[in-house]
Amino acid sequence: MAITDIPILSMLRTRLQWSQERQRVLAENVANADTPSYRARDLAPPKFEAPTALAAAPVTTVSLTRTANGHIAGIGQSDSPFRAQSDGDYEVRPTGNAVNLEQEMMKVAANQMDYQAVTALYTRSLSLIKTALGKN
Amino acid sequence: MDFLKTMAIAASGLRAQAGRMRIISENIANADSTPAAPGAEPYRRKVPSFQTEVDRTLDVQLVELGKTRTDNSEFRLKYEPGHPAADKNGNVKYPNVNPLLEMTDMREAQRSYEANINVISATRRMLQRTIDILKT
Repeated sequence: MAITDIPILSMLRTRLQWSQERQRVLAENVANADTPSYRARDLAPPKFEAPTALAAAPVTTVSLTRTANGHIAGIGQSDSPFRAQSDGDYEVRPTGNAVNLEQEMMKVAANQMDYQAVTALYTRSLSLIKTALGKN
Repeated sequence: MDFLKTMAIAASGLRAQAGRMRIISENIANADSTPAAPGAEPYRRKVPSFQTEVDRTLDVQLVELGKTRTDNSEFRLKYEPGHPAADKNGNVKYPNVNPLLEMTDMREAQRSYEANINVISATRRMLQRTIDILKT
């Protein structure tokens, strides 16, 4: 039995992956804060309705298939199992840019705190296993 | 590794904003560059633009400084009969640079730069938390 088969650890891992992916999306938003007609994006939160099913089978994705060697791999809906969703555009500037820097900063901070919480939980879960092993 | 992608995106944002600062400083420095001869044109204000650039190796959307365009608005006319570049009415063409506008632009560039720095430091802290799992 691998360590990733433990449901709690696998769920925490999914959550960490989600945070990493979200950080990437937020960085894109901030970097493109002055690009004309750029709309801010965010990730839909992961769903854990059936944690056992999730632990059993990893999240599968739908992606574009390359039917000829000359094709360029599709971008945007790449191998990420999480779906990107567009934010409500409540502040569109005359250039068509809809990135609100303050909002993005809030999201970056929230994402960071989420990540800290999950890593702390991961550490605790590992120490539970250590206790079971009787190695402390 | 997603965090490295995040860093690359934020770094591209830093680069783009730094390039924008360069153009703003060019405008401010040349705010009084008069033409050499009466018929010639003075310095024309430059306007930076941003565009999204797809990085295929990292599979992310970076931002880069696009084509630098020129501001086609009217030049400022100043009455200086003794000036070598004065026309027959005694008017000298001055660049169409408005220092107030440039200052506003500069503040905006500064703000975007700080936002990107903020994303980088948040990502670094998250990465550090992941490494901390190993230490326990």
